[in-house]
Amino acid sequence: MANAAYIYDAVRTPRGRGKSSGSLYTVKAVDLLATSLRALMARNGLSESAKSALVDDVSIGCVTQTGEQGACIGRSGVLLADLDESVPAVTLNRFCGSGLEAVNEAAAKVAAGFAELTIGGGVESMSRVAMGSDGGALWDPTFEWRYGTVPQGISADLLATLGGFTRDDVDQFALQSQRKAAAAWERGEFARAVVPVLDMNGVTVLARDEYLRPDTTIESLGKLKAAFEAMGDQFGLDDLARKRYPHVENIRHIHTAGNSSGIVDGSAALLLGNEAIGKSLGLTPRARIRAAVSTGGEPVLMLAEPVSATRKALKKAGMTIGDIDLFEVNEAFAAVPLYFAQQLGVDLDKINVNGGAIALGHPLGATGAMLLGTVLDALERRNLSTGLVTLCIGGGMGIATIIERV
Amino acid sequence: MRCEFDSTTGVATLVMQMEGRANKINPTFGEQLNRILDEALASPGLKGILLTSGHKDFCVGADLDFVYRVRDPKAVYEAVGQLNALYRKLETCGKPVVALLTGSALGGGYELALACHRRLALNRPDIQIGLPEVSLGVIPGAGGTQRLPRLIGIQAALMLIAEGKMVRATAAVGQGLLDAVYDTPEALHAAALEYITQSPSAKQPWDRPDFKYPGMHQPDTLDFRQLFAVGGAMLTKRTAGVYAAPEAAISAVYEGTGLTFDAALQVEARYFAARATSDQAKDMIRTFWFHKNAVEKQEGLPRVDESGYRKIGILGAGMMGAGLAFVCAQRGFEVVLKDIRQEALDKAVAHIDEQIAKRAKHASAEERAAIKARIRPTLAIADLAPCDLIIEAVIEDIAIKHAVTREVAAVLGPNAHWASNTSAIPMNDLSPAWRDGRTFIGLHYFSPVEQMPLVEIIVGKDTSDDTLARALAFSREIKKTAIVVNDGYGFYTTRVFSAYIMEAAQLVAQGHDPALVEYAARRAGMVVSPLKVFDEVTLTLAMHAIGTRDKWETQKGTPSGVLEWPGFKLVRALVEQGRTGKAAGAGFYDYTAKPRRLWSGLRALAGGPPPRTGFEYIQQRLMLSQCLEAARCLEEGILRDKRDAEIGAIFGLGFAPNSGGPLAWLDRFGARRAVHLLDDLERELGPRYTAPALLRQMAEKHETFFERI
Repeated sequence: MANAAYIYDAVRTPRGRGKSSGSLYTVKAVDLLATSLRALMARNGLSESAKSALVDDVSIGCVTQTGEQGACIGRSGVLLADLDESVPAVTLNRFCGSGLEAVNEAAAKVAAGFAELTIGGGVESMSRVAMGSDGGALWDPTFEWRYGTVPQGISADLLATLGGFTRDDVDQFALQSQRKAAAAWERGEFARAVVPVLDMNGVTVLARDEYLRPDTTIESLGKLKAAFEAMGDQFGLDDLARKRYPHVENIRHIHTAGNSSGIVDGSAALLLGNEAIGKSLGLTPRARIRAAVSTGGEPVLMLAEPVSATRKALKKAGMTIGDIDLFEVNEAFAAVPLYFAQQLGVDLDKINVNGGAIALGHPLGATGAMLLGTVLDALERRNLSTGLVTLCIGGGMGIATIIERV
Repeated sequence: MRCEFDSTTGVATLVMQMEGRANKINPTFGEQLNRILDEALASPGLKGILLTSGHKDFCVGADLDFVYRVRDPKAVYEAVGQLNALYRKLETCGKPVVALLTGSALGGGYELALACHRRLALNRPDIQIGLPEVSLGVIPGAGGTQRLPRLIGIQAALMLIAEGKMVRATAAVGQGLLDAVYDTPEALHAAALEYITQSPSAKQPWDRPDFKYPGMHQPDTLDFRQLFAVGGAMLTKRTAGVYAAPEAAISAVYEGTGLTFDAALQVEARYFAARATSDQAKDMIRTFWFHKNAVEKQEGLPRVDESGYRKIGILGAGMMGAGLAFVCAQRGFEVVLKDIRQEALDKAVAHIDEQIAKRAKHASAEERAAIKARIRPTLAIADLAPCDLIIEAVIEDIAIKHAVTREVAAVLGPNAHWASNTSAIPMNDLSPAWRDGRTFIGLHYFSPVEQMPLVEIIVGKDTSDDTLARALAFSREIKKTAIVVNDGYGFYTTRVFSAYIMEAAQLVAQGHDPALVEYAARRAGMVVSPLKVFDEVTLTLAMHAIGTRDKWETQKGTPSGVLEWPGFKLVRALVEQGRTGKAAGAGFYDYTAKPRRLWSGLRALAGGPPPRTGFEYIQQRLMLSQCLEAARCLEEGILRDKRDAEIGAIFGLGFAPNSGGPLAWLDRFGARRAVHLLDDLERELGPRYTAPALLRQMAEKHETFFERI
């Protein structure tokens, strides 16, 4: 690398329930994004025009880019957050990996020497802009028949069937996610990163993640219906998957609303830069990006890619799995981190130590950036050194970033 | 074709009447229709146009000779382009056009009706409406995939087109396919005139600026996308993704919704051109149009107008006997249903009652009672005396069949005919128990006989042409599709069926993955996977049948050694454990929980690992083993006509309909490639796979069973 790329700061909004009853339902997506951007600038003494103008570029992940999330919400957010108008932005979509992709790209510009100071983040208002409402080539039936693309829940159940996980396995994992998330909030694990969302009058709209259900029990999880059974069985989605996996006689449907990621609203932003810019601004770097990679794999199974992305990242960084102290493996579905742990031989205690998307929710375009901030805070609080963030991505892609505290 | 203009009403009647007995769409059709349309449009004071047919049917669609032969997609694209231009001219000519359906309108014929502003029909049960093109491996090519969704909504149109459903005129109104039906031609005509006198706008909904799709699915919404995602998946569930035509039809609908109408027609035309020039379409047209028509017309076979049978005696009141009794009674025959146990008769009667309730739903209470009254269940042989045809459906045992034949023959009249429903025992082994080989014949029906349309008629060495002709007439009378084969153990269909299920048992016994065996069959297009159907016929029945065959072969000095096959030993081991099939709750599958699952204990009973395996290998063995039997039956003269190989396998056994049949499958696979593979398998697994000389010869001379198209 020409330059080391450092993370100087990470902020996020709390995650609101992604329904009309959610606390952030009345908050425009662009306002949500502006909240994170404004806070990031303020905390780092960059609110003044002359200072924010030093930001070379802003990359914002957002998945359902239609309606109010259409056009280039990144640029709209930058202007609304009162960054200097000379700050450009790009909005990108790598599905669930968008937030991390945005950080990776922002970091890559710094590492390449094309930029000195950048922002990477993401935003998604799932309550206001419904998943799937943007369309896409992948909805074309010819695509479905050719690649067998199925809804991710079917992929998750297929992953569980291939990995040999039972309903109890995934429910136990979900229970742990809930417990860890509740405990993390109690301990103040998220205090540094979370900035409240305020309304136009300065009144707090939401200050805490609200999707959690701390009173979850294994019994309450056990009562939930397998969410993808009907569509798999009756609507033939399992039959689409079978074309690629002919030896799988039946997909065991075990994922439910309780052991899959929650639909929520939220945004996040990270400040990235080289060593020199930090020094000139009087900012202390918190971590260095050691590797930032993406991979592609079989699109029907889709959710196994965190394994290949992790392997690729480790290779690029010249590290082994044992070198990583903490992992954030997005809990798109419980089988995903379980499979990850199984395949790479990682102790579950190192994964998602402050809970994950099952308890906290997964605001599609923002999650990757949120997870990076989460692992950074967790490393600092535990005085540990290296973290790896990885997410499974629609269409069979994977993404991973390795950071090392400095 | 002609145009009849009535200057008093201002109505021009276009009468479609092509040479021959039907209006088939071909370039001549287009030219003629265009000519009479021009004539109408030039008529002074023209108020409206009626489109009618001078033939029995309105129009039955494309001339399949053209579609069957054409291989140039560009030529197809241009041809449908011209037809589309004509239909557009009709619907945009500025005058209201009414389609008067006094007969069926199917495929391109219904598409013509769709290009009219109003569709009226006679209320007759034999008039059918629909777009059945997918059943021949093509799609609607004259605007059907674009007009129908715009007329009745995207979801409703998708279902009709993708399944190729045909609807009776009476039901078509409720589904929006027709505007109204009338009881008489006069009322029909009057309604059409009435419509025209109201000077309606002669604009199709899709040509109006305020056009909106009917129904809840609007283009480019999440609902719309999910409809296609689910529709596409359900098609895959139903067909294992083996049929290209319904996929193309669905894609044409999907892609056309976002476009202007004329551009949408271009998209449809491309998909049509791709399908029409494909192998699958050729094979399906050959079988489901040409072969099927020839078989149904009983071409080349001895013919009498009527069977002359009045009273049918059925021996054996099992599922088959009971079903046959119902089928015959439903078609007006008197039936005597004979068994040796009252319990069996009671069960049969219960089954018959069920069938009457289910399948004669539309009949009046009197008709239903009449069907029941025609059937006489009895334990007494003497009651069979007035029967003029006996259908023997007792247990598959030569000695028992002989005994029953002699016993019943003694009470029958001198002109009675005897038919055996045996599935495998040769006529020549059974007929000696009957008085006269000339009046002895095989009528092999398929279970459930109320549903399965096929009958395999087996001709013994002495069976007369008159007996055969009467059996063929009888098949027409009870609405069965008949193939005729010569005598030999297992005839045709049973040989193919046994090859299929035993090959599957062999594969499992040799250590191949049973889940792959099942799925490979479905992905080849087999309607039911082999281990599933094995469980359904029961392993006990299969074992019994194999045992009978082995005894017979041994007696004739031609043992096949089937009892030594690993597949047979596996079946026997399962039976010994009580795993006799679906009815017992356990066979190759476990039925204790839903869904059924392949029994985990199969692996322990199997050998292996096999030297080679894999999806393609397994699929080839399953298909080749069946096609091999078909080729052998042809070589041995069991099959009298190649069309019967195809129709028999598909309609009797669910052989991959997408392939056109076992002989067509071999043609596509290639005789040379087949022989090469069979030689390998023979070396590996023995004489079961010996390629017949016929196939070897065809391989050497690069020949095919059917004309290379």
